[in-house]
Amino acid sequence: MTQTKSSDSSESSSPPLFVNAENVTLSNCDLEQVHLVNAIQPHGVLLILEEPHLRIVQASANCKDFLGIGTEFLIGKTLDILLSHEDILVLCDHLAKANLLNTHSHLISIKHSLHNKQPLHLFGNRINDLLLLEFEQVDPLPPIEILSVFSDIRESLKSLQCAESFQFFLDKLASEMRKLTGFDRVMIYRFAEDKSGEVVAEAKATDLEPYLGLHFPASDIPEPARRLFALSALRHLPNVDYVPVPLVSDPNILHPTRVDLSYSFLRSVSVMYSEYLRNMGVKASMVMPLFKQGKLWGLISCLHSSVRYLPYEQRIPAEFLAQLSSTLLTDRENIDQLGYHTKLHYSTQKLTSQLQNCVSITEALAFRDEALLSTLNADGAAIIVDGQLTLLGKTPTGKQIEKLAKWIAQRETSVFSSHQLATEFPDAQEYQQTASGLLAIRLGFTSKDQILWFRSEVSKTVNWAGDPHKPVEINLENCEVRLRPRTSFAIWKETVLGQSLPWLSTEIDYAHRLRQIIADILIEHARLLSKVNAELQRSNSELDSFAYAASHDLKEPLRGIHNFLELLELEEKEHLSELGEKRIKTVLSLSEHMSFLLDSLLQYSRIGKNELLLQAYSTRNMATQAIELIKQSHPDPNIEFILSPNLPIVLCDQMLVSSILQNLLINAIKYNEQTIKRVEIGCDTSLIPPVFYVRDNGIGIAPDNYAYIFQLFRRLHLRNQYGGGTGAGLTIAKRAIERLNGTIWVESELGKGSTFYFTLTPESSKNVEHCA
Amino acid sequence: MLNTVHNKHPLLIIEDSDEDFEITCWALAKANLHCPIERSSKAEEVLLSLSARASQVDCEPPLPKLILLDLNLPSMGGRQFLEKLKLIEHIPIIPVVVLSTSNNPRDIEKAYRLGAQGYICKPLSLEVYVKKMQALVNYWFDAVEVPNNHQMFSPNTQSR
Repeated sequence: MTQTKSSDSSESSSPPLFVNAENVTLSNCDLEQVHLVNAIQPHGVLLILEEPHLRIVQASANCKDFLGIGTEFLIGKTLDILLSHEDILVLCDHLAKANLLNTHSHLISIKHSLHNKQPLHLFGNRINDLLLLEFEQVDPLPPIEILSVFSDIRESLKSLQCAESFQFFLDKLASEMRKLTGFDRVMIYRFAEDKSGEVVAEAKATDLEPYLGLHFPASDIPEPARRLFALSALRHLPNVDYVPVPLVSDPNILHPTRVDLSYSFLRSVSVMYSEYLRNMGVKASMVMPLFKQGKLWGLISCLHSSVRYLPYEQRIPAEFLAQLSSTLLTDRENIDQLGYHTKLHYSTQKLTSQLQNCVSITEALAFRDEALLSTLNADGAAIIVDGQLTLLGKTPTGKQIEKLAKWIAQRETSVFSSHQLATEFPDAQEYQQTASGLLAIRLGFTSKDQILWFRSEVSKTVNWAGDPHKPVEINLENCEVRLRPRTSFAIWKETVLGQSLPWLSTEIDYAHRLRQIIADILIEHARLLSKVNAELQRSNSELDSFAYAASHDLKEPLRGIHNFLELLELEEKEHLSELGEKRIKTVLSLSEHMSFLLDSLLQYSRIGKNELLLQAYSTRNMATQAIELIKQSHPDPNIEFILSPNLPIVLCDQMLVSSILQNLLINAIKYNEQTIKRVEIGCDTSLIPPVFYVRDNGIGIAPDNYAYIFQLFRRLHLRNQYGGGTGAGLTIAKRAIERLNGTIWVESELGKGSTFYFTLTPESSKNVEHCA
Repeated sequence: MLNTVHNKHPLLIIEDSDEDFEITCWALAKANLHCPIERSSKAEEVLLSLSARASQVDCEPPLPKLILLDLNLPSMGGRQFLEKLKLIEHIPIIPVVVLSTSNNPRDIEKAYRLGAQGYICKPLSLEVYVKKMQALVNYWFDAVEVPNNHQMFSPNTQSR
């Protein structure tokens, strides 16, 4: 039973062959044109008239039963053959005032026709320039006091309004409706997204088997039937075993039109429907649609195991209650979520203040009082901020989330939700147990910075009323394939995998709001950050100035101390004991070391203090100069310098780069015990930015120490080993490299040597002077 | 003849630290400097007296042959002194050599840019200091000729 054809297509392009009870087949079930059946149920009479003369063009074959005159006498006549002049005047007055298009309305009640004593109700509907006039008997029971009807409905309404939850509301609706109509069973039937139905509330006679919680496949109420249910406020089938009453038209007309009976109350029902009810053991039914915000939400379905006809007088209160319920539906469902909604709203307020008081978004969302996971009803969450992933609760692995985040980043909308993720993102099948449900917000437009909530799989058991995959049975009758609704409504259990509890609209709203809050706070953070940055820069430069001044000012008295001690040593030599002389030497050596330390500190602070002077320089020339300087300060014939030819010209500050190269070269030869010390300066220009390196065959560095070697005054060896030194050389090199926006790293093997790599990528700002 | 010049024209040291002045004098003595040493601890005083000499024709007291200038001075610093010196018209031409603790390349560059004729870093070791002073004396007092400010300021020169 396919759902591909909609009623629209059947309406707009009428197929040449009408599908009806005789030839309904597997593929055209949805097309069965129930509204063009050309027959009615026997609990009333239908006349089809032409206006304005009210000439009867068609009539149901049962006129005699209600009107006391045979149908054949009516065709082609005007209405005055049937009704008194006074009645016709009143009717015409109503017809002139009533619209009657797309609706079926009560017009008048008459004491009797011209041919019998039967009081009748008259109903009307206009369609295709024709007037459909229906007659039903007036309830023979004494009329109910109108006030008592109102008070009954008011009581029902009151109890509906007092229902403490949406479920109670539906339960109440079912029981009130049963009280009002006296049917055996009243079900509230809700349509799902896929148009399958579920019995969400039920009131029934105790001896009946419950249908509550049962699911019905979409094909049980096919599209044309859903359309017809939506069109009229109430459908009634008093007896499924009724004999349809055909419409009779003028025998002189060869091809009488089949009139559209969509709005007719008496219209004959689909053969599939009556058979379906029969298979269920139902003899009579009454169906009222429930709308939520103008859309068909579900049905109130009243079923009775014996024939049951509800006259117009008794149908009105039921119809009225159903319509009122529709208006209450939206509110009731919303009120149900209100508590949760308030909780989420409160949570966003708390999160906002946490976000405002926390430097890190992750920290604010994950580890404070009000945490992401506890608020939203989720099993796990992931926060990705600046590429850093933080996992909370039950989640897929980091790698899986990374792939998922990439997919989310490419989506058009910044908020995504699904309770069956694997159907949209097949990779998610791997982890559907932990994350069948996903609610994700993207913090930037296309960024991978996201917040994701996961819901684990709920292996849901759906109880179907019969096998949903076989909604119909195929019968062979007279060598022809015939379709009939299934005969078994025994519970057929289906386990649904790969689904979580669905995300509520209030939860999705919450995610939207949270996203907006984070966006606002990110902007605020960025503003603060740039302020703090400026402050930091200023304080850094102040610190550099301070260090510079301090070390500079310390150097002078230190030199004085050293000088006067030397004078003492030189000029008072004869008065000094051997020990005294030794002690003077110790103080001299200590002050020399202190002087070195101060020099290093000066050099270090100078890197941050001085303005960058960026120019295009040949690194080859600078390397050559650095090597020359080293050769002068460390004359040693056993040092071999290798200069690779491809050293490029780069934008840099000459003084800084010289300092980098000198410090790296000194480091390379200092920590080297080889007879031939080899130092190579080179560059891999195939990389962007080019990576420079200084390679030696020295003692190497243990990996554990990689982190320490760049720390100021940190030495890995004793002061008297490897020619002393202050332990600042690599720190100075690193700082100079960082000043030029570069990075430095080391690869080394103990006993084999070390290679220091670095890049230089100064921002070409306005103070760039281009070399001629 | 040279000796007389030596004797007559002093070496002026602008230095605020007594200890540094003492050590410099000691090193200069070791380097056999024979001319008198004058000292001022304030650069602005020196600038004032030199600018006063711009309008005078007096030969007395004799102008210094060379100025050794410390950069770190109270009130007017060494750099400012160099700057101002260039701006004063008709001031006697006296070579200035900076004598400083700083080995900052930027300081060195700046000093030369402002017209210093030399830059000596005060070393930690006396031995090195003596060697440096020896080189200074050899160069400025024996090797080079400097302008004779007195001829410049004679009436003849002026009328020209």
